[in-house]
Amino acid sequence: MAGTPSTYLLGTGTALPGEPVGNDRLSHRLGIPSAWVETFIGTRTRHFAVDLDTGRARWTLEDLCTDAADRALADAGAEPSEIGFIVLATATPDALMPTNAALLADRLGIEGAAAYQLQSGCGGAVQAFAVARAMLSAGESALGLVVGGDVCSKHLDLAQDFRELPPGALVNYVLFGDGAGAAVVSGTPRPGTRAVLTHLEHRLAGPGLPPGQRVEWFGAADLRAGGLPRPAVTEDYKAVEQRVPVLARELRDTLLTASGWRPESVDYLLPPQLSGRMTERITSELGQGFEWEAVSCVAETGNNGNALVFLQLDRLLPRLTPAQRALTLAVESSKWIRAGFTVEAPREAPDA
Amino acid sequence: MRTVEELIELANTHLGTALAATDAEAELTELAEWDSVHLLRLVALLEQELGRPVAVDAVLRARSLRDIWAVAVGT
Repeated sequence: MAGTPSTYLLGTGTALPGEPVGNDRLSHRLGIPSAWVETFIGTRTRHFAVDLDTGRARWTLEDLCTDAADRALADAGAEPSEIGFIVLATATPDALMPTNAALLADRLGIEGAAAYQLQSGCGGAVQAFAVARAMLSAGESALGLVVGGDVCSKHLDLAQDFRELPPGALVNYVLFGDGAGAAVVSGTPRPGTRAVLTHLEHRLAGPGLPPGQRVEWFGAADLRAGGLPRPAVTEDYKAVEQRVPVLARELRDTLLTASGWRPESVDYLLPPQLSGRMTERITSELGQGFEWEAVSCVAETGNNGNALVFLQLDRLLPRLTPAQRALTLAVESSKWIRAGFTVEAPREAPDA
Repeated sequence: MRTVEELIELANTHLGTALAATDAEAELTELAEWDSVHLLRLVALLEQELGRPVAVDAVLRARSLRDIWAVAVGT
């Protein structure tokens, strides 16, 4: 799925729960040495919706998405009543039903909108923008709200002794964080347009391969059958380390070809956000030979899945000057999805 | 824990690795089934076995299983 039409980005907003949690704090709580996290993961801080001392959930995904959406609407200068549809992407909904998309509409006071929810990971933001683009080009609404978020701490079992975890489950304790992001989009240019999403692509890229990440869900029958039947989240981190750089390179080249952009004309790279260390490595590989400024967040926010691209966009937009260009690349390791888009600032300085 | 062979046996028993005694001197980066998560779990196992903390910073600088053993036993 690639090509036009353009999607106009009117505003973005993000929400990260509570104070940043550093590696020393994480080490103190979980017993994983902070020096190890710094050396091999390279993520310095993350935010958790859960209170690390009490284990009590302080924010729901609904809370975070509402805060992010409120900020995006304010940034866009738009009213909730103007929103015709919501697309929300997450791997960690508060419940399977009702959807967080529907609950978000209620919290924002949006009536009669269409609400879609995507079950997705790191590629979710791009998929949500793709659905929004299709909705906008069908001409059904003038404005849409695209949202992505995850509360990964749902899977952070604070009573777990990490020494008993298999490696594929252990890494998740130090990789992930919580957060949400949102963007207000339009199918036609409006005063105040911050940036334009031009070429967008997302496709499955691992035919026949085992999943790189698997997130389970359990029902009452599973629990009655004797506790959790298997780890709730597992990651084949070696496969991730091998495949993500390859898929990111392919995606970079595909987007450059589709957009007709010369690499020298690109100003910013929004690279895949895995861990601080891996993102550093991939960024230098992807941008080798080019003067692309990287826009990353994972070392400060942890990997918060569906929120990542929004957090990066939120950091990109204030830096964009007229006609500047950015490449956004995401790779989802679940069943290997490469997802990205090209972003361009309007040629004239945006209206205030 | 008197020898590096005992450390290797500890790893094989608890981490599911199949390291040989001859791997003691090999560069960790050259051990096909070794990775940073194994290192983390080995540190925890060593602390449990020895009943005292192991200097993680020094373990992170180790280049071989023998280096790790040396740090763990404080030589």
